[in-house]
This record gives sequence, structure tokens and C-alpha cells, in this order.
Amino acid sequence: MVDPIYALSIFSALLIILLVLFFPEKGIITRWKKIKSQTGRVLIEDALKHLYDCEFKNLDCSLNSLTGNLTLKADQTASVISNLESMGLVTSTGNKISLTSEGRSYAIRVVRIHRLWERYLADNTSVSETEWHAIAEEREHETTDEDANRLAARLGNPLVDPHGDPIPNADGVILAKQGITLNNLEEGKYARIIHIEDEPKEVYAQLTAQGLYPGMQIYVLQSSKEKIRFEADGEECVLAPVLASNLTVLPFTEKESVQESFENLSSLETDEAATIIGISNAMRGQQRRRMLDFGIVPGTVVHTRLRSLKGDPAAYEVRGALIALRKNQSDLIHIKKIKEN
Amino acid sequence: MNDVEEIIQKANKYRWEIGENLHDAILESIYTDAARIADKTVTRQGGKQKFDWDRWIDKLVTGRWTGFPIMFLLLVIVFWLTISGANVPSAMIASLLVDTIHPLLKDGANFLHFPWWLSGVLIDGAYLALAWVISVMLPPMAIFFPLFTLLEDFGYLPRVAFNMDNLYRRVGAHGKQALTMSMGFGCNAAGVIAARIIDSPRERIIAIITNNFSLCNGRWPTQILIATIFIGGAVPSFLAGVTSAAAVMIVAVLGVLFSLIVSWALSRSVLKGEASAFSLELPPYRPPRFLQTLYTSLIDRTIMVLWRAVVFAAPAGVAIWLVANVTINNVSIAEYFINWTDPYAMILGLNGVIILAYIIAIPANEIVIPTVLMLTVLTTKATGLGAGAGVMFEMESVNDTAALLHAGGWSVLTGINLMLFSLLHNPCSTTIYTIYKETKSMKWTLISTFLPIVMGIVLCFFVAQFWQLFA
Repeated sequence: MVDPIYALSIFSALLIILLVLFFPEKGIITRWKKIKSQTGRVLIEDALKHLYDCEFKNLDCSLNSLTGNLTLKADQTASVISNLESMGLVTSTGNKISLTSEGRSYAIRVVRIHRLWERYLADNTSVSETEWHAIAEEREHETTDEDANRLAARLGNPLVDPHGDPIPNADGVILAKQGITLNNLEEGKYARIIHIEDEPKEVYAQLTAQGLYPGMQIYVLQSSKEKIRFEADGEECVLAPVLASNLTVLPFTEKESVQESFENLSSLETDEAATIIGISNAMRGQQRRRMLDFGIVPGTVVHTRLRSLKGDPAAYEVRGALIALRKNQSDLIHIKKIKEN
Repeated sequence: MNDVEEIIQKANKYRWEIGENLHDAILESIYTDAARIADKTVTRQGGKQKFDWDRWIDKLVTGRWTGFPIMFLLLVIVFWLTISGANVPSAMIASLLVDTIHPLLKDGANFLHFPWWLSGVLIDGAYLALAWVISVMLPPMAIFFPLFTLLEDFGYLPRVAFNMDNLYRRVGAHGKQALTMSMGFGCNAAGVIAARIIDSPRERIIAIITNNFSLCNGRWPTQILIATIFIGGAVPSFLAGVTSAAAVMIVAVLGVLFSLIVSWALSRSVLKGEASAFSLELPPYRPPRFLQTLYTSLIDRTIMVLWRAVVFAAPAGVAIWLVANVTINNVSIAEYFINWTDPYAMILGLNGVIILAYIIAIPANEIVIPTVLMLTVLTTKATGLGAGAGVMFEMESVNDTAALLHAGGWSVLTGINLMLFSLLHNPCSTTIYTIYKETKSMKWTLISTFLPIVMGIVLCFFVAQFWQLFA
């Protein structure tokens, strides 16, 4: 018979070793794979993307900004750049590095794949929005053009990624930049969020934590140098102007209908009635189609009928059927209460 | 050619202009049109009903104070009807198939001068395994599933999912998993098929993988027998009944806990990226169609059990007979295997007989105990028990079974760990096959097969070692 103390300690040690090796995301195996993936091609594509991003924003791109973006040492970046130059993808004059037309179309190709993947992750998976970017960053280097076209076809050739950035088509044609940043929107104006910048990650996490997403209607209450106070889908938000500059909005033109005020379905008390105004854009993919299948479309009348023990889920009567929704879903359905006399 | 390109360009231009909400807009206009047509052509009767039964029942079965008591009461009734109702027909089928037909077949084989190995493989092996599976499995299946179907037909089950969803949401699963789990108490393969009611891909796979943590029909008898012998036998006799029943309940509840923990872990690791969407319709109540439900349910279950007995259990019977009868130097390969695995099995608080029984009885949990008894007789060389090598049997009295197992060197620890291992081991081959058919994925099939057995080995190891440390 083996001494239990020996057996226990040997086995526990074995378990710990296995955990350290295979633990998801933090395990040695995953880390090692990540390091191994930092190959030449990845660096080249990331550099091109950064240069394209600078060009898109009308900024000058230097060796320094590239070094920061790629998290490399300066001499390593320099060798990446000279590599790119010898391939005829960039030209550098003095401190300024710019893309050649081949370099630009290569960059647009990578950007297209990146945004398609983000769109896929948003619509067809339950990956949380803070992780879309990081996963797309990895997959963009492993996807061939044919795979990208297949992915685009499967997604119905989407026009924009979930952050509101336009997705270039297969020929590399990309929509021109539209809208203004939120800090430039005047007080008392209605607008719609069309884009949320997903880099840097910390800023993006702060913005999404506020519940902001493209498609939201906003109304500026106060805009000053210290803070910007605005209503987003009926809820008040406050942002520092630095953060607000990461939001691009498109002011409403006269003919578009401004939705004055609305509440969320989750706030509807038992046996109250309301009319659906719309489903938030944050509800995507299969989940959104499900809601539409149930007949949750603008104009439909709903009643809250049942609440489970903790109030989540609750059951709503929609077009004669009783449908249970979780709170995170009914939060995304906009309603206008009907006052019953 | 030019025309086509022009049209494509035009289409692309409109797509940019119209934007992303085209599908929403189309659906909205379909609903508007449909509502307008319905208003024009359908006449609706009078105003409100005087009393709305549906809403009254809903308030009752999902109510704060009434919802959960009603749920547990119904569950207890279903189980009680199944267990108490299945005993009599099970015994009848067993006495017919095992005690009457089996000797007749043997006599017939002798009369026809079958060689001993042929009658052994066919009658003692294949036929007995088949008979065992049918007699253990058919009666409870034929009672449990019609009851379930009646509750579903009435419209009650979606309300259970509604009540339970809060708990299942926290572990990343769907409220309907409460239903597939309950189905698993009847038969894991049926529970896996039932996971079709979950329309979200991620939650459905979670429900399929964790279904094996529901103790199925084939495992309840093992749990009850072992608990009676080893847990009931370890306490004063007036407490024996209560204690052994409590032990079985603890194992079943442990299974439910494991299913929740594993759901939580899966939804946060390998299944993190799968698509997830929640929807749950609560259909109106309606009187269940008793006769139709009873008829289709009975036919379905009987066919399923027979299919399973023929396809999976009969070959297992052949294997069981062969390992006990094929000998090298007068020692059967079963004994070789048992002697070889015994020291390793001891580390897990089990023994070689149990390991071999669980390997050759993968096709059906029902034949684990008969196989264990047969192998124990084989290794202890006990005389006057059973009907020879490779012939599975069960004993008339629990005391005789206890005596045999004690003679085979079983302790209370062996009993406890067998109960745990019976809860946490690979699903039976029917279930594995069903999982593959339902998911069409080797990955999920392998995970569902090996996850529980790894958990079982780890748990048995720790229980055994701590037991030896303190006892």
C-alpha cells in the first residue's frame, strides 16, 4: 500500500503542474504559443495597419509612434521598416514614414479581415465586446483572402464593424470618414453615435462600461472644457472631453425622426402595457432575429405578465403569446408606456 | 456583361445608402401588413373573458411562495411513481427472461448438441445481457417518460424552466437545462436528445455535456444496493434504511451540483465563444391527451430499449462471457486483468473487479452489478454461487450479496467510492453515440466522455487517500 501522504502530495503536485501548463489564457502553453506567433509577417502587417490608421486620421507617423504601437525596441522597429521599404510597401523621407500604393492596398486588406472578424465575433458568438479587438488582431494574420470573402458572404457582406468603422469591400474601396467627434457637438443637439474608437483598450472599456454603442441616440445637455453631459438612449452620461473625442457622432438632419424619450422594457411593472419603439443595436445576430420573430417590432403592444422569483426572467405578453425574457434582453428593448385609465 | 456590372454597382450604392437596418425594416412592414389584413378579415369574439384560467395557473406555479413547493412536489411524485411502480414489472420481466427462458434456451442448446462455447457466447453472454437491460430499463422508462410527457403536454414544463432560469443564468446555462437534467434521471441518452429544446448553440452543448451528471435509471439500482450494504450496514440497524436512502440522495444531489459547476466552468472556458441567445415561450395550458401520450411514449421507449439492448448490450454480453472463459494457462484473461489492475485500483479506493466491470459494461450501466458479482465469484473461487464463469447473475437477498462482496475484500470505502464512481464515469455507449449524433462533433463527444471519468478518478483518489489518512 502506498503511504497516503506521499500519494496525496505527488498527485497534488501533478495537478498543479498540469494547471500551470494548460490553464486557459494564463497557462504556459498559451503564452508560449502567443510568443511564437510574433513572427515577421505579423509585425509587418501590424506596422502597415498602424501606418494606414495614421493616414486615415491625417496624422504623421514616426518611428517612435510605430515603436510604441508594436511594443518593440527602436532598433527592431527600424529593421521592420527597412524590411517594408525593400518590399516596396513604404517610403520614408526624413522622420516621416508613408505608405506606397501597394502598401496601402495591403493594409486595407488586413483592415478588412480585422473588421470582418470583429463583426463575426459580435454577431455570431457570445464573446464579450472588450475581447473582439484582441481576437481579431490574432485572426487577421491567419486568414486568407478566400476565407475572408467566404466570411463576408456568410455575414451578408456587412458594411460596418460593430464599432461603426466601415469595412472595405473586396476591391479595397472604403467609405469616407463621416460625422464629428462628440466633444465638437453643440449643446441641445440630437445626434446618433456612429463610431466608437476601440483603441486604446482601456478607453474603449470605459466607454462600453457606460453602455455606449453605435446606433445610440444622444442629446447633449451640457458641453464644456471640463465635462460633457449628455443623454444616451434616455440615460444621462458624463464624459471627460478626452474620452468624448473617441466617440464619433452624426448630427440628425431635419427630416429624420428624433425619438423624444423612451424607457426600457425591463422597467415595465407587472400588468402595465407599453408600445415597442425599437430594439437597441447592441442586440445582434441570432438574438435580434429571435426578438423580431416573436413580433417585437416598433408599434407592437406588450404587457408584463409574470416575474420569476428574483424578477429575472420576466414574462411578457406579445401578440397573444407569453414570452420570457431575461433582464439583459429587456434592457435593450425600448418602449413607451401606455397610460391606462 | 456591362449590364450586370452596372446592376451590381447600383445594388452596392443602395446598400451603402440604406444602411444596416434593412432586415428590421422589412420585418416591421410584414408585421404591419399582416396586422392590417387580420384586422380587416378576422372577427374577434366579445370583450374580455370572465376568468382567465391560464393566468391564474401561471400565478400559482411561478408564484413566490407556491412555485418551488409545487415543482418539488411534482418531481417527488414522478420519482415515487417510477420507483415503486417499476419494481413489480421489473421483477416479472426478470423472472420471465432470466429465470424461465434462459434455462429453456440452455436446454434447447444442449438438445441440439451446441458446443459449450457457442451456447456460452450466445445464451450466457449475449442473451443474458439483453435480458438484463430490458428488465432493468424498460419498466422505469415506460413509467417515467409518459409522466414527463403528460406534464409537458399540459404546458407545465416551460414554467419550470422559467422558475429555474435565474439559477441557470448564473452558471451560463439555459433554464431549460433543468428539464433536460430531469430527463437524464430517466435516461441520459433521452436527456441528450431532449437538449434539442434549447435553441441556443452554446447552452445546448452545455446541457448535453452535463447531462451525464444526472443519475440515470441504470445507475439508481447500483446506488441503492451499494448504499444498503455498505452505508446502511455501517450504522445501527434502526437507522439503516434512513441512512442509506440519505446516502443515495446525497449522491444524486452531488450530481446536480457537479452539473452546475461544470456548466459554469464550460461556459467560461471552452464554450466562451459559442453563440448564445435566450428565448423561452410559455405556451397556453391545455388538457393533456392521456391515451395518445401513453401510447406513443410506450411504443417509442420500448423500441428505444430493444434497439439499445440488441445493438449495445448483446455485444457487451459476448465480451463479458469471453473475458471470463478465454484462459491462458488455465487462468482467465479477466483474472489476469483484475490482478494486474488491483494495485492501481486500490489507490482509488476501488478494486480490479470494479475497473474491469466498468470497462466491459460501458454499453450499459445496468449490467455493472451482475458483472461485478460474476467476476467476484470468479476471483474468490466461491462455490455454489452463480451459474458458472461468464454468466451474470443477481442474488435473491441483499445479505447474500453483502457476504459475497465482503468475501471479495470490499470495505465501506470501496462502497462509497463505487457510488461516486458510478456517478462520475463515462456515459454509456448509447449516450456517447447519441451525443455524437446530436452534436456532429468529435470534440464535444470526447469532452463529454472523458471529462466525467477524469473527475471521477480525481475525486475517488482524494476520498480514498484522505480516508486512509484518517481512518
